[in-house]
Amino acid sequence: MIPTFHQIAPELTLRAYPTEKFKAAMLSVSAVLPITRESACKTTLLLAVLRRGTEKYPNLAAINARLDYLFGTELSIRNYYRGDSQIIGFSADFLDTVYVPREEMLLEGILDVISQMLFHPLLDGDGLLLERYVESEKELQCESIRSLKNSPRSYATEKCRALLYRDEPCGASVVGSEEQVMSITREELTAHWKELLSNLRLDAFFVGRDEKSLISALSQCLLPEMKAHCKTPLAKGGLYRVFAEPKKEPLYAEDTLPVSQGQLLLGYRTGVTLTDENFYACTLLNEILGASPISKLFMNVREKQSLCYHCASSYNAYKGAILISCGLEPSNRDVAERAILAQLEALRRGEITEEELSAAKKSLENGYRQLLDSPGDMETYYYGRALLGVDSSLELCRERIRGVTREEIAALAQGLILDTVYFLRGTLEGGDGYEED
Amino acid sequence: MKKTEFSSELLRERYTLMEHESGLSVYVFPKKLTSTYALFATKYGSIDNTFIENGTKITVPDGIAHFLEHKLFENEDGSDSFSRFSALGADANAYTSYGRTAYLFSCTENFEASLEELLRFVTTPHFTEASVKKEQGIIAEEIRMYEDSPWDRCQRLLFCALYHSHPIRKNICGSIKSIGEITPSLLYQCHRVFYHPSNMVLIVCGDVTEEQVMAVVDGVLPREVKPHTLERVLPEEPPTVAKQRIECRMQVSKPLFCIGIKDPVLVADPKERLRRDAAMTLLDEILFSRSGELYSALFEEGIITPSFFGDYSCTDSFAYHCISGEADDPEEVLRRIKAYLAEVMERGIDREVFERCRRVLYSDELRAYDSTEEIANRLLSFVFDDAEMFSYPALLQSITAEELEELLRKSFREEYFAISIVYPMETEEKENE
Repeated sequence: MIPTFHQIAPELTLRAYPTEKFKAAMLSVSAVLPITRESACKTTLLLAVLRRGTEKYPNLAAINARLDYLFGTELSIRNYYRGDSQIIGFSADFLDTVYVPREEMLLEGILDVISQMLFHPLLDGDGLLLERYVESEKELQCESIRSLKNSPRSYATEKCRALLYRDEPCGASVVGSEEQVMSITREELTAHWKELLSNLRLDAFFVGRDEKSLISALSQCLLPEMKAHCKTPLAKGGLYRVFAEPKKEPLYAEDTLPVSQGQLLLGYRTGVTLTDENFYACTLLNEILGASPISKLFMNVREKQSLCYHCASSYNAYKGAILISCGLEPSNRDVAERAILAQLEALRRGEITEEELSAAKKSLENGYRQLLDSPGDMETYYYGRALLGVDSSLELCRERIRGVTREEIAALAQGLILDTVYFLRGTLEGGDGYEED
Repeated sequence: MKKTEFSSELLRERYTLMEHESGLSVYVFPKKLTSTYALFATKYGSIDNTFIENGTKITVPDGIAHFLEHKLFENEDGSDSFSRFSALGADANAYTSYGRTAYLFSCTENFEASLEELLRFVTTPHFTEASVKKEQGIIAEEIRMYEDSPWDRCQRLLFCALYHSHPIRKNICGSIKSIGEITPSLLYQCHRVFYHPSNMVLIVCGDVTEEQVMAVVDGVLPREVKPHTLERVLPEEPPTVAKQRIECRMQVSKPLFCIGIKDPVLVADPKERLRRDAAMTLLDEILFSRSGELYSALFEEGIITPSFFGDYSCTDSFAYHCISGEADDPEEVLRRIKAYLAEVMERGIDREVFERCRRVLYSDELRAYDSTEEIANRLLSFVFDDAEMFSYPALLQSITAEELEELLRKSFREEYFAISIVYPMETEEKENE
């Protein structure tokens, strides 16, 4: 089964996966925007300001109290990259309507809060977004930029990501730099909001029981507002993607941080994305290299050589990049880099045992089956594929996985291009378990 | 074999307890989802580092429960249980906390074979000098990883402030020095003492039957085992806090804080303890949640960032409230919290807020039954606390605002407060100036 598709209006779609197996339902509404270095962090700021206070629910306390009353509905901001697009919107997890008395009008209540945020944020007398909220959220966004360093691995991953995609839109930071954020004016932010509404397209994704009630609630609570604000032709649908020319030489970069561990990251270009014929071979390559507990990186760099606790790889199927990350004692940097490269060399020579190949295939098949147990995973999978117009049949996925050969994986490994090597050097000794005595 | 059924009309769920001849308690929670999740756990965590065996009191190195968890995956023939699970298409893992060690897998096929592997590898230890030495390098990096986490450090400092001698003060992974003292014979000893079936439970949640599960259990575990007595030794812990304030400096952009309120009332009766837990959880929701007055005031005034969170934890040997967050002036947050609590004590709990918060917890409770992983881990918490999971919603409904007002006055007393703060590094501040 795949989600049913409803074109409710030219500017509003719904993908619904009707099921009775969950007690909590999930609804998200998303818009797809092209990433630019200027707009990405501005959009992030805008979302935070919209979530801060509306005409009906003027502050966070009022919004949160309303959500509490809606049986503890959790409403969160959606803001992530897919390819070179920024997907923004809201997502709600709520008690499925069968557990709630009908007169509570749960779906309508949730869509009312979302619609308040999108179309009726608090404005000052001059018609601009409320100064107090804009200034407060600018400060909080700057704080979140500074606090990236609180987590060395996340910080290193973000630094490496920005370098790896330095010539592509998605290299832009989603939070921006402090200078960028502080320079955004209320006028600019309000104009950005109005522009967003002027050609807004929304994709809803729903997992739950009552598909029919949702369609009518969307048509009544969201669509009229969308139409009222729409002024220009609709934004283009689908995903934006840009691919820079592969580099001849890898880029090496290093920073230091007063922490005890070092973080080594290697960014590779595979040239293979979700829309390519050998996508499944590439997924298997990543699985065997560093995504499972019996991967080459885990079994060798960690288990055999005891160089680290964390050593893994991840594959960005929309951009075709593989990122290897490893947390290690800084003095082991060179040894670990050689150990990681040696594992990739083995893959290139086709040194994949029958056990490795079969386990990797089973693990991926297990993952594809399990995604039906989680509404969030279902959205990631089905909506992600829909954005690229890729067939989303799970049976087909499993069939394609099973058909991949060792030779195909080795051939792909040979084509991997090392693009960026980033090292975050920890400068503290550490290891005492920080006892307070 | 004794069998007990539990069911809940409200939740439309049921589960069964089967007491196996070996002493193992087996729980099967049927759930029509794709993945099946199995959890094999021992009531043995990082705080159990002193115990009595054959009349002798023994103290083992800090971090040994966690070390043992890592090492059990290694088999006598040199193979690794991760590989065996992978060959079956199952996803295996393990974790160690203050009070438990759990081994688990999730799968969508080969359930019986995976369960057999789980029961087998956890009950057949094999340790060598070489493999212990090799693991020390891996765990050293795990220790460093947590050391670089300011939230982890802040919480650990709070435990050091709240407690004089309780082993919750110690790092779950130990230190590089303490894990250096671990030997194969110590590992065997801890396994012998704490991995007896009578100290363990097996929980399976998924589209499986009791018969399927018990057939595997019967095949792996012995029908008869020597009776086992387990005596843990915990040091005396005074009711008051050890220190009111602990601070440190590390790589953070803004000070982080954990404000703890020690609960010196350790309830021995499991039912009573569950009631206290539910009442305190509801009280914290009323006082510290994002829809509450306190959060709203502190946030709108720019005193705290959105990462503000308060909750209550309790076991039979420790209990505390913890309110964590980020603020330029954590001491100011502490003053404001104390002032707010005094105000609520004076004027009482708003009945509308009380009902709203209870509605949130009630909805959260219903929503906690959508994932086999979440159900199994939740059931484990209740089981290890000798409590019955399905009794919780009714318990929540029976709590009154008057009861909470009394708890509030008795619990949030000056002598139970402590704060830990992680300040940014001094050097960085100077560079910026």
